[in-house]
Amino acid sequence: MVQESTPVAAPPPTGPVFGLFQQALPGVQLDGAQTPIDTSISIRRDDFVGVMDAVKNDDRLAFDYLRCLSGVDWIDDLEVVYHLWSFRHSHGVAIKVRFPAIDAHVPTVSHLWGTANWHERETYEMYGIIFDGHPDLRPLLTEEGLGYYPLLKSQPLADIEDWQEDYLQAIEEAKAQLAAAGGPAPVLDEKALKIQNAQKKAAIMKKTRDEARAKGLSPEDEKAAVQAAIARFDEEETAARATGPAAPAAAPVDPRAAKIQLAQAKAGVIKKARDEARANGMSAEEERHFVAEALKAFSEAQGG
Amino acid sequence: MTTEFQLPAETELETIDINVNVGPQHPATHGVFRMVLTVDGELVKDLDPVIGYMHRGNEKLPENCDYRQIIGYHDRTDYLAQFNTEHCFVEAVEKLGGIEVPERPQYIRVILAELNRIASHFMFLGAFGTDLGLPGTSFMYAFREREVIQDFFEEITGERMMYNYFRPGGVAWDVPENFRDRCRQVVKSVRTGIDDIDSLMMESEIVLARCRGLGTMSTEQAINWGISGPMLRATGLAHDIRRAEPYSIYDRFDFEIPTGSRGDVWDRLVVRLEETRQSLRIVEQALDGLPEGPLMAEGMKRILRIPAGEVYMRVESPRGEYGVYVISNGSDKPWRHKVRGASFVNLSPLRELSIGHYVADVILILGSIDIVLCEVDR
Repeated sequence: MVQESTPVAAPPPTGPVFGLFQQALPGVQLDGAQTPIDTSISIRRDDFVGVMDAVKNDDRLAFDYLRCLSGVDWIDDLEVVYHLWSFRHSHGVAIKVRFPAIDAHVPTVSHLWGTANWHERETYEMYGIIFDGHPDLRPLLTEEGLGYYPLLKSQPLADIEDWQEDYLQAIEEAKAQLAAAGGPAPVLDEKALKIQNAQKKAAIMKKTRDEARAKGLSPEDEKAAVQAAIARFDEEETAARATGPAAPAAAPVDPRAAKIQLAQAKAGVIKKARDEARANGMSAEEERHFVAEALKAFSEAQGG
Repeated sequence: MTTEFQLPAETELETIDINVNVGPQHPATHGVFRMVLTVDGELVKDLDPVIGYMHRGNEKLPENCDYRQIIGYHDRTDYLAQFNTEHCFVEAVEKLGGIEVPERPQYIRVILAELNRIASHFMFLGAFGTDLGLPGTSFMYAFREREVIQDFFEEITGERMMYNYFRPGGVAWDVPENFRDRCRQVVKSVRTGIDDIDSLMMESEIVLARCRGLGTMSTEQAINWGISGPMLRATGLAHDIRRAEPYSIYDRFDFEIPTGSRGDVWDRLVVRLEETRQSLRIVEQALDGLPEGPLMAEGMKRILRIPAGEVYMRVESPRGEYGVYVISNGSDKPWRHKVRGASFVNLSPLRELSIGHYVADVILILGSIDIVLCEVDR
């Protein structure tokens, strides 16, 4: 059964592993909790080194296998969770250490469990948690110099791409233009025009129908009145379009198009120079030189 | 036996170490994986694995998804063991939500997951044969039966690879009416295939000569490096999560845990081949026990809200321990969704395993890890 509400009832009793921890680590603050499978134990960062050493080397605990290491973002705090397993005693535990996000440091455990090396590198690049004493804390999955920590909750799912930003900006500008009273009506494309037309038509239909009902016309008459109104509107629209300033604005200069044009011109120059050189029977070396000269002249002419 | 070369004394030849780049687009790297080798002649002096080419944010995206939407991401995490990974995630949600799953879907899940394990091991055996220098031959035999399994999965789920069939609380829909008969046919066909591969690869002197004593690791090393699955069992430790911490209904089946003795490439090969036979045993037992009944737990809501809490669920995937760490804050989306990929961890000691071997043998060591780069990079 799935519970509808989410309150957590009284915490269930912790497993026998918690008792072992209390025996092995007297005087250390341990907060035990029970998850559906493992017992989880929260410790303070100041006790971390001693606790982890005991977790690995104490005979009663003997957690020789680090199965998983995860970072968790709790907005103000960050947390590292170590899921451990002991082959000797066949028991498992989750150790948690929590620290403020502005001071994201925790000692490494890669000297205790070799597998922690890659796990810590991954957690470092995803959360920005520094594992003090790690032998090689380079990013593992992401490129170097990424500049942000992807798994932090403060990191949005995806950034808006450059071209999308331009697009959004253009929309904003168009809106501003529209809002400016007396300004020229924005140039609309085919689709937008259609939508506008449909909206106008809908408004006319509604108006005519309301009027007809107010007058108490029969349904047939109402229908006829609406159709007449739409026909009138269509006629007006076509007339307006025929007379209206239909000339589209000059196409904006696309920087890419200009670049392409330049490249094409350059290619033309190269081809011409090469053909000329071959016609004159130049050697390969001379030909290259001749083409380079021609290109240089072309660029100067462009620049001038 | 490896051929013994009589190398000239070091004083006679002046050599320098050179860097060789392997991958990321190279068939021997089993995906987009790159290694930077430092070689002295043919001997590997150093190796730097470079991963992350397939990183797609498989931990970030599910934090913005409904619990049922996440299942598809697990198909794509380990695309050779989709049912095993789905199994892990739905079990995690069920454990967290206290959902009681009926018997029939439990059996269906186990049958499909075990067949998926066989398909995945077939993929390994075929690809490993190519690494060994049996191009085509092993692939042909392994893929013949893998295709039988994939067709069977397609009949059930409608998909060839991204099944998206398990749901928290059960399975999406019932299996076809002729499920039992078809499944027995598949089992029969797969058994022939296993015997074929066995005689093709295990009785080949070349395979034995190339794999024996290569890439050895001790049990202590394996535990320290976090190795799991067939690689760990090849070192002689009979640890299988299906037996050590039984999930679903795995405690009802009788199967053996094959182990190796030296932890070398040969043992990994033998363990995987033997595991396919054990999986067939589980499938047959589950088929005998498959009951009729409901396919979904009672009281499942359209929007699944999971009580606040956390669970680290792990299953035995074909590559080892596949784990999902889910933290719920009571909403319909997980607060944290961590994936522990088995091959991510198994790949990490590649440098230590490879140093001192020949370049051609490093390809074999890498192949024997059986990596799935989508699971490594997530």
